[in-house]
Amino acid sequence: MSDDATLAIEVQNVTRRYMGGKFTAVDDISLDVPEAQVCAFVGPSGCGKTTMLRMLAGLEEPTEGSIVTYGRPVLGPGPDRGMVFQAYTSFPWLTALQNVEYGMKILGVPKAEREAKARKWLEEVHLSQAANSYPSELSGGMKQRVAIARTLAQNPTVLLLDEPFGALDAQVRWEMQEMMIEIFEVERKTTVLVTHDVQEAIYLADRIVFYTRTPGKVKQDILMDFKNGQRFRQKEELLAQPGYIDMERQLFAWMREEIQGT
Amino acid sequence: MAQATNPIRPEGAPSNTAGQGAGPRYDGRPAKQYLRLLTPVTSRQAAYYGVAGAFLFFLIWEAGHYLTPEGSQRFLPSPQIVVGTMVRLTVEKNYLADVGISLARVLISFFAACAIAVPLGVFMGCFANMRAFINPVFSGARYLPAASFIPLLLVWFGPTDTQKLALLFLGVIFFLVALILDNTEAVEKSLVEAALTMGASRSQIVMGVVVRAASPAIVDSMRNMIAVSWTYLVIEEIVAAQDGIGAVMMRAGRFLKVDIIMAGILTIGILGVLTDIAFRLLSYYLFPWNRKRPG
Ligand SMILES: Nc1ncnc2c1ncn2[C@@H]1O[C@H](COP(=O)(O)OP(=O)(O)OP(=O)(O)O)[C@@H](O)[C@H]1O
Ligand SMILES: [Mg+2]
Repeated sequence: MSDDATLAIEVQNVTRRYMGGKFTAVDDISLDVPEAQVCAFVGPSGCGKTTMLRMLAGLEEPTEGSIVTYGRPVLGPGPDRGMVFQAYTSFPWLTALQNVEYGMKILGVPKAEREAKARKWLEEVHLSQAANSYPSELSGGMKQRVAIARTLAQNPTVLLLDEPFGALDAQVRWEMQEMMIEIFEVERKTTVLVTHDVQEAIYLADRIVFYTRTPGKVKQDILMDFKNGQRFRQKEELLAQPGYIDMERQLFAWMREEIQGT
Repeated sequence: MAQATNPIRPEGAPSNTAGQGAGPRYDGRPAKQYLRLLTPVTSRQAAYYGVAGAFLFFLIWEAGHYLTPEGSQRFLPSPQIVVGTMVRLTVEKNYLADVGISLARVLISFFAACAIAVPLGVFMGCFANMRAFINPVFSGARYLPAASFIPLLLVWFGPTDTQKLALLFLGVIFFLVALILDNTEAVEKSLVEAALTMGASRSQIVMGVVVRAASPAIVDSMRNMIAVSWTYLVIEEIVAAQDGIGAVMMRAGRFLKVDIIMAGILTIGILGVLTDIAFRLLSYYLFPWNRKRPG
């Protein structure tokens, strides 16, 4: 990533306090995310990752500081920043296809175009066969595929993912991670991924921002240089990279420091 | 004995597939047990049980009739007599007109109450400040006994249909509002947030997300509250009506015609069950996405 790359996200001295200012969840964080970077927020539970992501989405306001995406200050939620939640948020009264269409409908895309695009996106997330199923008929992994397709179908400039695979079992999570890498390769979306799964972060991200536990500050901010700018579809390939083990060991060591306070 | 016995299915107990049981058993008891914890029944089984229960009810009623001393049997007429009375009333006394009037009173007042309660409950459920403004009065009003409004309404409107509809309306509106407020607030916040991040407007979220998500629960609330409407109908018609099922019963009471009173009770029971079924069917066809998956 060169220094003159377009900045997709600029976070400046953002602080978020709760309980009338008595509790600081996010403490004076500044960071820039260049266009097309996949940036993971990693840290122990309760360190403010979700809070930071929700502020990027505009679902929550910073107590202090400012957030800018593509030159525009974030004042509220909007379709330029698509978000996938950990909770299943597919609308239960719409089929998978209609769910993917929903976002485009909001944007005023005409029906025929909307449906064609929605089908294409369902194919992209390997869910074509379930186009006419309601969410209650889908597994957790399939519901998250719908959510991802629905978000991407709006063509947001920034993709925000809050532990999107947190509720899935190991094998499904791994399939979803491979799928995300495919999507990152094709779409080149600026992405912020919140996770407390260290391996997931290394696998998917180009950069990891590691948070300290309360108050949430940036402890470390490192690029996944050992990948040499590549993304490895197959996890085995990534594991075979020199430097992978060191990276994982390093992150676990930080995690231990934060959890045990040593 | 070297062979361990299976604690879950003792020897000789019928297996689940061979027996009448359907679906999984969770409590590790033999299949022939009748009180199986958390074990679903098929709709066919449910129908058998339902018919058996109803049969038992009429059997006890019948027995009660014949166990009553000869001279006072007319104070507990048998089911056949009551049904016969219903037929006779229909043929000779234009009973269906009274039934129609009662039904119309319930339906008109109930849907008028819904027309106000649904938007109001949703509105309060969506906007906390409006809830804080309106709800204290509305939820407090639930503690005013609706029947105590009868004298007041009689003074205001006289013994008119307006008075009757007003009472039935007051009897359900405050509870309906409270239930629909709950239904609205029970909508997953994450659905609303997802819609917000997709750029949905406030009206798109209220109508397209909150109402859509809450609607099965709202129809369920309506189904439960219409039962209360039937209760107030009888109170109302007994106190101050010239027509309707309650009035028929009240007149019969003066002449100790117990069979007519019981025919009235039975009629209201049947109508209540029918409205309940109507709401269930409505819900089934309006919300195919909310149907319980078989198995
Ligand atoms: N609305 C709120 N009111 C009060 N405190 C809050 C609120 N939202 C978050 N917090 C607090 O802020 C801190 C950070 O929460 P956040 O959800 O951002 O953590 P997280 O890093 O996402 O944790 P996890 O990995 O468990 O999801 C927590 O201590 C939490 O209790
Ligand atoms: Mg979180």
